[in-house]
Amino acid sequence: MSFLSPTTSSIFGGSGNEDGTSATGHGGMLVNESCLDFLMMELVDAMCRTAIDEDTDREVIFYKLEMLGYRVGQSLVERFTVDRPRFTDTLDVVKFICKDLWVIMFKKQVDNLKTNHRGVYVLQDNNFRWFMRMSTDIGGTDSSSKATPYLWFPCGVIRGALANLGVSSVVMAETSNLPQCTFQIKIAKS
Amino acid sequence: MSIDINCIAVIGKQNNPLYIKNYSSSHPDLKYHYIAHTAIDVIEERVLNNPKLTDAYLGLLYAMEDLAVYGFMTNTRVKIILVIAVTDNVVKDADIKAIFTKVHSAYVSHVCNPFHNLDQDFVASKRFSNAVDHIGQQNSRATIDV
Repeated sequence: MSFLSPTTSSIFGGSGNEDGTSATGHGGMLVNESCLDFLMMELVDAMCRTAIDEDTDREVIFYKLEMLGYRVGQSLVERFTVDRPRFTDTLDVVKFICKDLWVIMFKKQVDNLKTNHRGVYVLQDNNFRWFMRMSTDIGGTDSSSKATPYLWFPCGVIRGALANLGVSSVVMAETSNLPQCTFQIKIAKS
Repeated sequence: MSIDINCIAVIGKQNNPLYIKNYSSSHPDLKYHYIAHTAIDVIEERVLNNPKLTDAYLGLLYAMEDLAVYGFMTNTRVKIILVIAVTDNVVKDADIKAIFTKVHSAYVSHVCNPFHNLDQDFVASKRFSNAVDHIGQQNSRATIDV
């Protein structure tokens, strides 16, 4: 994850002045990209470690990571849609996720966006940034199953971003072949 | 700036009041609650009828007696309502927009606070209310000086 530009760095409003004129723009702090990488690793690992039994508590771990992401996603869009014109429809919102949000989080855009025009969107990223340095000895299904917990946080981020823009959805992610992964967004019928 | 701010109201996406503050002494608080409530209808109508209207700033919503009500809606459906006293001075859109932008950025900073609970009904943050009150008082004082 890389919040490198000064405007993006104060996403948690950390560097505001006491009178409330918070630093959105100038005076923001920079965060080292590696720190965020380590934080992400530790976040998932800590959740798995503190679970009593990793297999039965999978749901709990998923829920916790997803809710963390949800909160982050909501804050992210609040900050990054400030200067944008209003979105006209759901596709517009999903495009914002694929282009702008992905660039903010992963410094690249989603490689492929598919939709069935009935509320299902599939986002495919061929070089998912958080998987770039991941591999296992066995490879194949082993590495993809080990990498799956690392997708739950970004799932939550997407769901949170969509929710705050007025689109309630269910987001699932899967990976079959390591640096590649897909996110499936199912928009809830309103 | 010669804008006399009487009230600033922030309304959440479910049309729940997040913050409302009266900066005038001419009307009771209830009056502004009523005005903000009416403004939601006007905003909804305006946004529904003009799908092409993508600017957050919605302009003058309506004028009532000696008060003019301006509206602003963010991408996340948070509405900001500004009530100003109608005077003989010309009110520039750019000035109103600047006030909205200030309130909006205060709100964004508030929401990005990790200790803030998004499901909370009313904004109780001291920093947020200080920031908004600063905007409100600064502008209502300016007219007294003039």
